[in-house]
Amino acid sequence: MNTSTLPNGARGTTAVTVSRPSMQWYLTLAGVVLLIVGSLLSWCYDEGVLGNVSLNVNPGPIQVFMIVIAVLTLFFLLLRGGLFPVLDRLLDSARALRALGATATAFMVAVVIVIALQTSGLANADPGVFVALVGAALITWGSWSLASDPTVDPVSVHMRGWVDILVIVALLAIVLFGAAYALGQEDGTVFVLFLSVLGGVSLALARSGLFSWIRVIAQRHRQVLMLGAFAVAFLFPFTQNGSDANMSIATQVIIFATTALGLNIVVGLAGLLDLGYIAFLGAGAYVGATLSYSAFATIHWKPPFIVVMIIGACVSATLGLIIGTPTLRVSGDYLAIVTLAFGEIFRLAMFNLDGNNGPNLTRGPNGIPAIPDLEFFGFNFGDTHSIFGIPINRFGNYYFFLLVVAAIIILVFTRLNNSRIGRGWVAIREDEKAAEAMGVNTFGLKLFAFAGGAFLAGLAGTVKAHQDVSVTPDQYVFLESAFLLAAIVLGGMGTVAGVLIGATILKLLPEKLRFVSDYRLLIFGLLLVLIMRFRPEGLVASHRRQLEFHEEDTELAEHVEHAHLEATAGSEGSA
Amino acid sequence: MDLFMQQLVNGVTLGSLYALIAVGYTVVYGIVQLINFAHGEVFMIGAFGALGTWSYLLGESTSIWVLPIMIIGAVAASTGTAVIMERFAYRPLRHAPRLAPLITAIGVSVFLQEAVRLFYPGAKSKLPFPQIDVVTGPAFKLGGVVIQRAALFTVIALVICALLLWLFVNRTKLGRGMLAVSQDPDTARLMGINVDRIIVVAFALGAILAGVAGVAQGLQNSNIDFRIGFLAGLKAFTAAVLGGIGNIEGAVVGGLVLGVVEALVTQYTQYLPFGLSAFGGSSWKDVWTFALLILVLVFRPQGLMGARVVDRA
Repeated sequence: MNTSTLPNGARGTTAVTVSRPSMQWYLTLAGVVLLIVGSLLSWCYDEGVLGNVSLNVNPGPIQVFMIVIAVLTLFFLLLRGGLFPVLDRLLDSARALRALGATATAFMVAVVIVIALQTSGLANADPGVFVALVGAALITWGSWSLASDPTVDPVSVHMRGWVDILVIVALLAIVLFGAAYALGQEDGTVFVLFLSVLGGVSLALARSGLFSWIRVIAQRHRQVLMLGAFAVAFLFPFTQNGSDANMSIATQVIIFATTALGLNIVVGLAGLLDLGYIAFLGAGAYVGATLSYSAFATIHWKPPFIVVMIIGACVSATLGLIIGTPTLRVSGDYLAIVTLAFGEIFRLAMFNLDGNNGPNLTRGPNGIPAIPDLEFFGFNFGDTHSIFGIPINRFGNYYFFLLVVAAIIILVFTRLNNSRIGRGWVAIREDEKAAEAMGVNTFGLKLFAFAGGAFLAGLAGTVKAHQDVSVTPDQYVFLESAFLLAAIVLGGMGTVAGVLIGATILKLLPEKLRFVSDYRLLIFGLLLVLIMRFRPEGLVASHRRQLEFHEEDTELAEHVEHAHLEATAGSEGSA
Repeated sequence: MDLFMQQLVNGVTLGSLYALIAVGYTVVYGIVQLINFAHGEVFMIGAFGALGTWSYLLGESTSIWVLPIMIIGAVAASTGTAVIMERFAYRPLRHAPRLAPLITAIGVSVFLQEAVRLFYPGAKSKLPFPQIDVVTGPAFKLGGVVIQRAALFTVIALVICALLLWLFVNRTKLGRGMLAVSQDPDTARLMGINVDRIIVVAFALGAILAGVAGVAQGLQNSNIDFRIGFLAGLKAFTAAVLGGIGNIEGAVVGGLVLGVVEALVTQYTQYLPFGLSAFGGSSWKDVWTFALLILVLVFRPQGLMGARVVDRA
């Protein structure tokens, strides 16, 4: 989005002719070659450093990362050389090359330092690491003085439909294999390095304008993207070969994401800050637990699970209605505090309803343990099943089930978002008084946002009770609400993709970064502050949202208007 | 009657603590219309500042003369935290949408809690707070009513702080500047008042009182941990709203009222008829406090004193 909003005048004067590659171009190319050659050579005598980088022609994971960077650099170089003129019009290769060069150099310097520190001196480093370092430096040097080339706004470029779809499919395939690869890394250091390389590459691609192009494509082929993303999520367990560790994380991620999507209706669409949302998940979980076959369940009525799900969701929605009624009179910060107080009341009530301090419903701090696995028509979720010869374990079963729940919730979310109701919410979010003056039923819609969000959370909660095996009050503390909110803020309020990404990051990273697990909350707090400071609209921002945070940015405003006109013209054309 | 008086004394003690913290919410809200959600953490850091001063600077002496130095240590820690917080977390967001500072506040709150838990030696569990001579020890007895020495300290601290605060706000140039900014920041700026500085002063004032409250809390409970800020902060916010947020006298009154109500509710809900007594007693007192918070926010958002009506949208 950066490239497309820069004024054209500044760009037009510095345009380079692509027919005759410059000195810098060859310099960068030489850097690429050196980087690849260096990465194929041994970096260090010691096998124990950085997950074995001591072999020739058999690169370790870190060397593979460098080769990937080199190949990407080559791609952008060729783009600049005029190989794919269409793409060249869209992407600003110079900025991408600069970012790639900086990433590669920073990375190689870090590697040299790590080798020096871990093997007591640079004497143990092999020539390969220096060849690669020189290569990275050459890329940086060569690309630094490359002139940016003019790009066009991706909204105005129309390619053949199958090209767009091919791009989406390729992207999703990369996501699937990248996720499987990253999760397969046991070594914490390599995982961190992988993340930093990913960060650098993403930065480079963002600088080139690739993401804004992809965003436009994604908007044009929304159905394809959603089906594809669902397919990726569906295929994920098959890459894990029955391993428990990653599937348990994946199940947690999906519950978290589902709940965050429900909260996204309240916070992202209707703009009502809810700090007690975890109570709705808790209400669903407690309903699921007390109506389960657990020996500790306090209600001795055992309806089929589908009924339990509906009851849990309805109990949650009722609570949502109760907590929603103050919105008639309260808004903004005060509403946030009301919801926070409500969340605390819920937790304290669950804590106290143990038979001593009140009626026995929840067994207080002990919670309700030993909740049996779900069973549908003889299909027990606790057993390992085999599909196409690949074992799917207990977590896998829950994963698939939750995936269906998540798909339903996403469907509900997007349909609501594009409906009259969703428009009403956005109107309330932007200016409640104006919305009311325009005839929007503000109170009804706000109430509906609360009840609807709570309904979805309750639904997820009933499944969570069975997946977690036990339900205790300390699972539903304020911090969890803050986490949910952070997932939305980090990802981008009001977007589905953003919330899914945010939820994944917030649940996945602490699990993988066990060695910083003690510091995870500290980092989380800091992260929240930094996001609000530097990118309040989140990683995947809806343009309209972005505009709310950058009101003075008139170019962005024009861009949003343009994109909006484009989108409405497109939908009218297809209708 | 003794029972009632005893609960009244307990309530005033509790209320004084709430009032000391509540002033911080109200001062900041009055000036920048921001709920400084992390203020409870400032109070917690004050308590740890006092403890740290005592164990590392004062050689763990328990004579009464260390108390002023402990208070200074507490105030230094809490004020430093508040000022840094304002500078780096809130100031960049001065013109951001309302949601942004609130989320930042949550982040700061989590960050401060974790920083104390991880970096203060031994703070992962409860830490004993020093029992200083004179302000702790055998309780006074007045008829059938027991008054703890720490309780007396808290109440006196509130009275002194409130008086000094009143003098500061009404009699000094800086204090009048605060009043001016809370009435109309733009006009105040035109009149030559440095609004940024006033905002820092507001944060610092709240933090000073919170630091004192931290010492009082330590003396009363004889131990502290990194979680005390959350609940105390929420209660104090309730107190501030109860008294009318933005109104300093209101915060003091609201704190005292909340404390007394809480003590009486704890005592007398045990005698509720129709089996409702099951929802009484100390394990439910927080529930009733939060219910009160919700009711006040919904039905009387301008608070008991009803000083200023703010558009809270």
